[in-house]
Amino acid sequence: MEKFNYQNLEDLQKLARIQLKDEEKKDLLESLQKIVEYIDQLDSIDTKDVACCNHVSQVQNENVVRDDVVGELLSRETLLENAPDQIGGMIRTPPIMQD
Amino acid sequence: MDLYKLSAYELRNLFLDKKVKATEITEYFLKRIEKNNKKLGAFLTVLSERAMQKAKELDQKNAENKPMGRLAGVPIAIKDNTHIEKEITTCASQFLTNYKAPFSATAVKLLEEQDAILVGKTNLDEFAMGSSNENSSFYPSYNPWNLDCTPGGSSGGSASAVASRISLIATGSDTGGSIRQPSAFCGVVGFKPTYGRVSRYGLVAFGSSLDQIGPIATNVKDIGLTMEVLGKHCPHDAMSLEFPAESYIENLREDLSEITVGVPWHFLESLNKEAHDNFVQSIETMKSLGANIIDVNLDILKSSIAVYYILATAEASTNLARFDGIRYGVRSKDAKNLEEVYDLSRDQGFGYEVKKRILLGTYVLSSGFQEAFYKKAQKVRTLVIQSFDAAFSNCDCICMPTAPITSFKLGTFQDPIGMYLQDIFTISANLAGLPAISVPSGFDKDNKPFGLQFLGPQLHDAPVVSYAHAYEQATKFSSKIPPLFDKEF
Amino acid sequence: MKNWEAVIGLEVHVQLNTITKLFSSAPNRFGDDPNTNITVVDTGQPGALPVVNREAIKKAAQFGFAVNASVEKFSKFDRKSYFYPDSPRNFQITQFEHPIVRGGTVTITVEDEKKEFQIDRAHLEDDAGMLKHFSSFAGVDYNRAGTALIEIVSTPCMTSAKEAIAYVKTLKAILEYIDASDCNMEQGSLRVDANISVRPVGEKKLRNKTEIKNMNSFTFLEMAINAEIERQIRLYEEYESDEPDNVVIPGTYRFNPNTKQTELMRMKERAEDYRYFPEPDLPPIVLTQEFLDTVKATLPELPQQRFARYVEQLGLSEYAATNLILDKQTADYFEEALTYSNNTKALCNWITVEFPGRLKELGHTLSSIDIPAVHLANLVKMIDEGKITGRIAKQVADDMVQTPGMDPVDIVKNNPDYQPLSDASAIEPLVEKVLQDNPQSIEDYLAGKKKALAFLVGQIMKLTKGKASPDIVNELIQKKLDSKN
Repeated sequence: MEKFNYQNLEDLQKLARIQLKDEEKKDLLESLQKIVEYIDQLDSIDTKDVACCNHVSQVQNENVVRDDVVGELLSRETLLENAPDQIGGMIRTPPIMQD
Repeated sequence: MDLYKLSAYELRNLFLDKKVKATEITEYFLKRIEKNNKKLGAFLTVLSERAMQKAKELDQKNAENKPMGRLAGVPIAIKDNTHIEKEITTCASQFLTNYKAPFSATAVKLLEEQDAILVGKTNLDEFAMGSSNENSSFYPSYNPWNLDCTPGGSSGGSASAVASRISLIATGSDTGGSIRQPSAFCGVVGFKPTYGRVSRYGLVAFGSSLDQIGPIATNVKDIGLTMEVLGKHCPHDAMSLEFPAESYIENLREDLSEITVGVPWHFLESLNKEAHDNFVQSIETMKSLGANIIDVNLDILKSSIAVYYILATAEASTNLARFDGIRYGVRSKDAKNLEEVYDLSRDQGFGYEVKKRILLGTYVLSSGFQEAFYKKAQKVRTLVIQSFDAAFSNCDCICMPTAPITSFKLGTFQDPIGMYLQDIFTISANLAGLPAISVPSGFDKDNKPFGLQFLGPQLHDAPVVSYAHAYEQATKFSSKIPPLFDKEF
Repeated sequence: MKNWEAVIGLEVHVQLNTITKLFSSAPNRFGDDPNTNITVVDTGQPGALPVVNREAIKKAAQFGFAVNASVEKFSKFDRKSYFYPDSPRNFQITQFEHPIVRGGTVTITVEDEKKEFQIDRAHLEDDAGMLKHFSSFAGVDYNRAGTALIEIVSTPCMTSAKEAIAYVKTLKAILEYIDASDCNMEQGSLRVDANISVRPVGEKKLRNKTEIKNMNSFTFLEMAINAEIERQIRLYEEYESDEPDNVVIPGTYRFNPNTKQTELMRMKERAEDYRYFPEPDLPPIVLTQEFLDTVKATLPELPQQRFARYVEQLGLSEYAATNLILDKQTADYFEEALTYSNNTKALCNWITVEFPGRLKELGHTLSSIDIPAVHLANLVKMIDEGKITGRIAKQVADDMVQTPGMDPVDIVKNNPDYQPLSDASAIEPLVEKVLQDNPQSIEDYLAGKKKALAFLVGQIMKLTKGKASPDIVNELIQKKLDSKN
């Protein structure tokens, strides 16, 4: 198992949009290295032919659906009450490079 | 009337019998909160106006002899990662200091429908990530038994509030032990239901396949009472179980005759002497109540922390992605473009532990590592479930200590693994979706509480609570009140 | 000069026309004020949870059967993580590992050849919100966020823009026939992304492909695909000696309708790591055989079946039939008209050629203007019954387009110029005049030249401004010519 390193950390930061102050970075890297070493213990457990546990409920829990009927809405007012910035009923953000 | 010494069940009866008014009850507990919260750091928000308003309505209703709810007149605190509509939900994070909940959690709605009086929002580790409440970005919470020590976490504020009797009941959330461990540390009773038993709608998600809302109370009967209100199917939560509500109060046992209790002795080998002795004592008590004690093999649980910190952080890394400064919460004033809105807002809003877990969670899901970590952990989770299934084929419930140690001083754990290891006995119930309760089991030499855990198969919530009741009746540890708070005002 | 071939795969995103969204009970509607069709789920509020819309599952299953795909009994949802403001949670809920539909075939005639295009898979996922761009800011509207989408992924089996268009048109028709979507490309309920690569004919290996987005009409789709194919070929020919992988680099391109070229949006330096994992908030979908049988049994007539019916039972040409079936509204209109008149060929012609031609100038189609099918049928009936001539009919059609909703029967009644001249005594002198003026034609006719008759008839029709009943004219002329014999 590859050792968890700085490059890993920077890649992860980009993916997770997490910025770190320089002091935090060093500490965090050490922390993550220790944690990754710890969780790596699972490698020694034999899981051949064992299925992933995607859903923990042991009772029949499938096909939970709802009818195609309009229900309770969130009012625009309530949405915008919590919005950092808004304009014309929309949430406002800095300009975005068009896609 | 020393109202704080009463159980919720007793208080409600007093209220219904018109021996005390709801407004009196509310003023009383609000006063207790006001006097003690600074010491305890239990509450982040006190909802005095709302509570008094509800109390007035209840008094009116009661005066007209209208039918009253099952929790009528009972003060209840809500962990601040659970929504009360129009009130702030902070999750103890700088990210959400001004976030007004747009809807009430189903659990909160059910409590209000049954006439509970919601007194405030309690402190927690930020986004429920922690085992000591030290990760709250506002202030820590303290243990009523020893104010230098933690109340545990992440539902530290709730456990502290109940133990000090400034609220009689509180809700918590439990992802890896966050209801049970603080309950044990604070000498109160805390219950994590079967996964899906209580709706998660309105609970700010941490580990979606692990989270459950549950009650913390001063005694087991109150746990049962609250669960009868909370344990209902919810159409807004697709993982909510569609099973008839269980009856708890009717089924509370006084003994454990004909009950087989499984104990994973091998797994418990590493317990320190004091904890070990306390646990052995509890087992003797259960024997005297008629229980048949057998050994069960749960050695796989040694890996449960590794499994948990992979799965919970993976789920959390995606659950917390929505906190991006766009729609709600903090948005950094320095952000000049979209990237900066994300990066700076999350930097400003998230504490260190939260950032760490998000990065870890992103790592175990990332391309090249998902197979070795996330998928592997999912498979070991299956093994954990299978182990429990095998054990339960021979016993009605499993007993373990709730925590390996009693409450510790703030600042004790500096290395990451050390703190995580505190969850060793609680995590497995979340991995397997099992109902699990922690009930006080004694005190250590420093008069800090121990907790004992009962676990049952999925859907055996009422039986688990009933076993705990029998133990509680025989030992009465939960009725002990921390000396500092054992006076009215 | 090498011969190049194109390899095209299409990803078609279709908004299902369910009443509510996929995971929330907000209305699924286009064009409302920003942020008025939202719930806590669609705006990613903390504590909100998704619950699946049963109707979306049904429509996805119907689609699967309509393209002869395998409708999977077991499917589930996954989280797909990426940060973007139009994503309320910064993860989309999609079906990565176990989609609800696998395989499938789309059959359609392209330039007289019957083609079968293969679908790889189709799955359910939720749509993102909309970003509106302004110079100094952007606005986010979550009305669209959470709308049920079915993403249909083809194999890279198309080799030309024409094939791609035919494939998408057929998919569109199928979706319209099963009432799964309104398939409006302009409004964005049907969106096409094209993956395009080229290679020399005979080369087996696939070269680098590019992704083209933002083509919101069939015209643009065709232009974009052709432009991109040309662009890639030009590059390969210019950098003949370079390693092909370095000549055309994978990337995402946008079609620019002004320059009619494709422009680079972003490079794919490394594939985005979406970190797919099973959605823990939703249990899997398990479909029973009973459910599947019911869905299959209740499928309406599909385009291919209608095509067969038009060709075999109504005697339409394959070309006419293909055009009709690909436009459901027109085909429905045609069949309604057929209930009033059984002249299939004439109706087909008026509905697919004559009227569209007139309506195009007004910016309309038969579906957007209020000319009921019965009126069209009445027009054809009047011609068949000899009540008006073909020439007059064309004028009546012009009038019908100018005054939609007016019955041609009334138009003819109200306009004396349209009344056919069927009074033989009024026509006879005109016939006499034409015969007198055209002695040569008489001789030609008597000499056996049939064309001469047509000429004479034409002259008479001219004189009567097309109003004379052709039958009567023929009868009169015949009589007179015979008497000259």
